Amino acid sequence: MDFLSYLQEAGAKRGPSGHEDEISAWLAERFRPLCDQVDIDPMFNVIAVKKATKTGKKPVPRVLLCAHQDEIALMVSDILPDGTLRMGQVGGVDPRILPASTVTVHGTGKPGEMNKLTGIIGAMPPHLLDEAERKQNYKREDLFVDLGLPVEKVRSLVNIGDLITLHGEAVELLNRRAAGKTMDDRACVGILLDIAERMQGMAHEADLYFACTSQEEVGSRGARAAAYTVDPHMAVVLDVSHAPIPQSKPDSTIPLDAPAASYGPFVQHRLLDRLKATAARHGVKLNTEHAEGATHTDADNVQIAREGVPCVLLSLPLKYMHTTVELLDMNAMAECGRLIAHFLAELTQGWEDELWN
Amino acid sequence: MELKTLCELKGISGREEPVRRAVYAACAEKLGKDSVSIDKMGNVIATKPGRDPSCPHVMLSAHMDEVGLMVISATEEGLLKVRSIGGIDPRVLVSKRVRVGYDEPVCQGKPDKKSIPGVIGAMAIHQQSPEDRKNVLPIEQLYVDIGAKDQAEASALAPAGTPVTFDTPYRDFGEGLALSKALDDRVGVYNLLRLLDGDFAGKTSFVFTCQEEVGCRGAIGAAFRLMPDIGIALEGTTANDAGDIQTTQQICRVGGGVAVSFMDNASLAQPELFRGMLALAQEKGISHQVKMSVSGGNEGGFIQRTGSGVKTCVLSVPCRYIHSPASVCALGDVQAQYLLAKAFLEDARLLSQLANKEGQR
Repeated sequence: MDFLSYLQEAGAKRGPSGHEDEISAWLAERFRPLCDQVDIDPMFNVIAVKKATKTGKKPVPRVLLCAHQDEIALMVSDILPDGTLRMGQVGGVDPRILPASTVTVHGTGKPGEMNKLTGIIGAMPPHLLDEAERKQNYKREDLFVDLGLPVEKVRSLVNIGDLITLHGEAVELLNRRAAGKTMDDRACVGILLDIAERMQGMAHEADLYFACTSQEEVGSRGARAAAYTVDPHMAVVLDVSHAPIPQSKPDSTIPLDAPAASYGPFVQHRLLDRLKATAARHGVKLNTEHAEGATHTDADNVQIAREGVPCVLLSLPLKYMHTTVELLDMNAMAECGRLIAHFLAELTQGWEDELWN
Repeated sequence: MELKTLCELKGISGREEPVRRAVYAACAEKLGKDSVSIDKMGNVIATKPGRDPSCPHVMLSAHMDEVGLMVISATEEGLLKVRSIGGIDPRVLVSKRVRVGYDEPVCQGKPDKKSIPGVIGAMAIHQQSPEDRKNVLPIEQLYVDIGAKDQAEASALAPAGTPVTFDTPYRDFGEGLALSKALDDRVGVYNLLRLLDGDFAGKTSFVFTCQEEVGCRGAIGAAFRLMPDIGIALEGTTANDAGDIQTTQQICRVGGGVAVSFMDNASLAQPELFRGMLALAQEKGISHQVKMSVSGGNEGGFIQRTGSGVKTCVLSVPCRYIHSPASVCALGDVQAQYLLAKAFLEDARLLSQLANKEGQR
């Protein structure tokens, strides 16, 4: 799969948590040629089903594969007398990345309208700040979005509650690395597409449910509903995790060049053993990552859907998370896709019997 | 099964397999294999049909897992870095003995694996600065030493993910007390296994749950599957009654009987059920107390919020030094928890009163 062009296209689609209409419609079309059925549910989860190619055991096991499609964003909280906008947030936006950023304001104007307006995030210039103020980061409350338009025009195009998304098209760096906005977690959604492509040529005994989930950034709300709908026998959850930078604390990161599997109480340890064995068999480098409690991914909610779901959690390493220059290794994406494809193909009869010994 | 045997089994949250094996075998022996199952979370669920179909379906729960540690890596010197599984105050860890890994029985021709002993060391007091003496060592600065000579040896014996449990043998203690690791909640598991023998009015499900210590995750799925009318959690709870502690801060007292909670941080007991339990204990002369303060949280809260709602109540054995390598409880309180749960399940009149769907006072 051409990950770079996927990342560039996917990153440009609007999808703040709770407003995944544009990204979900686009993703549904990407899955359609690869799957037997594709639906968008009431929460904007995209659920794409690829039926088993051969059926060993009845009932056919259902495997949920999920990654979240939503992105962190800002929203208009006030229109100031000069036509600039104050911002609230959707998900955790680091205010340090905001000054001088270019943004898109998705102005709803009158009913039925959607005005994509370019804005710049401005702040009080440093010349006018005293020394103590200059030493501190701007808070979101100190910043505003400048649309360059007179206030009457702004009021006619923009309403309070309208969404503001950040810019940052994916750019290819050296060594198959890429940086851009919303790699968290569109990169993992891309891995889901890669898996769906790979499965075209591979036999599998389980029904595969690819779910691009909504509202992860505000607490995995979409995944909860998706897992309820699918009622899977097991789940493979994909999300990003932190790769090291010079200031990283020990034991808090995973190397950039390969996917990592989580271990800890929220992960079914026999399934994890199975995943590791698959990786070893196919020469996929697989690191591990500890999660002594909550994983802060969709796995937390998927695991407790209905009667419970045995989960494995794979992480794609990412530098500079929740910025517009999130950096990843596209080789790691491909290897993650290859690993999961083999894992699914090798999920043959009797896999459940070993879980609780 | 003896309380001692159960307490000495190893089983941190998510890795309950030694406890699960023992519990499953005990249930299958008593009720037959067809009445026992292991669900998608790893909970063991045994069900008895009951005599009277008009009685509500009662789900009893006790959790198999215990707090402990998990290996995340080894240092160059061969020390194991760990993280806690469940809530452990790092101040109790220094200078304690642990077992690294589980004692795997020979199964399907695979070789026997033995857990290995380890210790949690710290800098000698002679070498500490006055500042060091004041500061709590966080888990990131505590290591399990298994005597390995280097990283390679340590990692080979205890790879990342290896469970670590406290190495505290069960002991009879003082007068009528027991000292052990994992009393929370092997006391509940012990009583739940004993209750399997009962002849009860209504349909009863015995649920041995997993992952309570990391957020009651097993109970959520089990309650969803069973959709019971009534949920009773058999727990071990905090007793803060030793030393010169004001009565109001004691929570409950070791030796004061089974503790019935009116409220904790996860749920409020259903009032009818709560009062019914107290009246029943009074009538039968079962030693009991009301848990004095609102603290802790347990499966009751998660069972209660399942489906259209479940009437719940929590019966606890008071444990001192809970979530530490050595907790203490009274055997009389363990017996009282058993007797009250049994009396409740046998009381067809009280059960039928509770069968109504309205939350009557």
